[in-house]
Amino acid sequence: MKKLFILIALFGLFNAAQAQNRFFTKTGKISFDATTPKSPENIDAVNKNSTCVLDSKTGDIQFSVLMKGFEFDRALMMEHFNENYAESDKFPKTIYKGIIVNNAAVNYSKDGSYPAKVKGKLTMHGETRDLETEGTLTIKNGKVAVSAIFPALLSDYRIGIPQLVADKVAKTAKITVDCTLEPLTK
Amino acid sequence: MNKKKKNILLLLLALACLAGAGAFYAYKEFNRKAEDLSSAKAAYQVTAVELIDAFTGNEAGSNAKYLSQVIEISGTLKKTDQDEKGNRILVLGDSTSMSSVRCSLDSLYGKAGVFEQGSLVKMKGLCTGFMADDLGIGSDVILTRCIPIKQ
Repeated sequence: MKKLFILIALFGLFNAAQAQNRFFTKTGKISFDATTPKSPENIDAVNKNSTCVLDSKTGDIQFSVLMKGFEFDRALMMEHFNENYAESDKFPKTIYKGIIVNNAAVNYSKDGSYPAKVKGKLTMHGETRDLETEGTLTIKNGKVAVSAIFPALLSDYRIGIPQLVADKVAKTAKITVDCTLEPLTK
Repeated sequence: MNKKKKNILLLLLALACLAGAGAFYAYKEFNRKAEDLSSAKAAYQVTAVELIDAFTGNEAGSNAKYLSQVIEISGTLKKTDQDEKGNRILVLGDSTSMSSVRCSLDSLYGKAGVFEQGSLVKMKGLCTGFMADDLGIGSDVILTRCIPIKQ
């Protein structure tokens, strides 16, 4: 019985320690932009319900976003995006799983702005590709603000652009991540 | 004006009307904004706990049933989250569980209205999907453009 209590206590301590290393948000902002100079209007959208989790100890970072949650200025563009390009019914989620390569150089307990290099895999439209970029981690009052721009070549993810609008939609979409993460306390 | 000329004129007039109507439709369609859900009819009426259970039990089946549908949801308000612009997200569900239904209030609705934690709220919103708990932070069903329903 005593051993069981010790085991439970150790498990609780392990969980608490793990939670302290983790930061998260469910209101992260992820936007994309596929505008070209020849686009008759901006081809961009924003999702304000993105999930992001960062483990400050290991540097593991993950973003998840629901494709149908992207808000467009025009309803017609949103319908085309979901039906013809992202096929959101078939592929409802986009996930990025990566690691901050220079995580050791980030002091999570000291306010400041730290350059971060992230390497990982982006799964979008049912395709997974390696994707890396450089961004910034800003530590302030115990929160971590993550900002980065990921360039995603649409053809890598089998997202076809019809010939008729080939010069009006960018071949590489700019995915911008802007999330403020709070410590995860369980 | 002979009859032939009159017919051609009428035909041209009809074509001009058609072209005008087409251009007007295209303009309206191009500039169409996302629908305000206040007058939309809900396809389903469920509680927050029922909706979470449905997605947790069968994500693919629930996606097929609820995705892009207007849902009338009722549940206990666990908390209210805010983004940096002050847009509110009402988090509904069982307060003892980490899983929730997250309802983003429509910006048209503005920042009006007070929602008390622990109270029963009823909303109408568009279901955009399910975030399974693969990150250890609870699973969530996401509803956007939500409009509160007065009880």
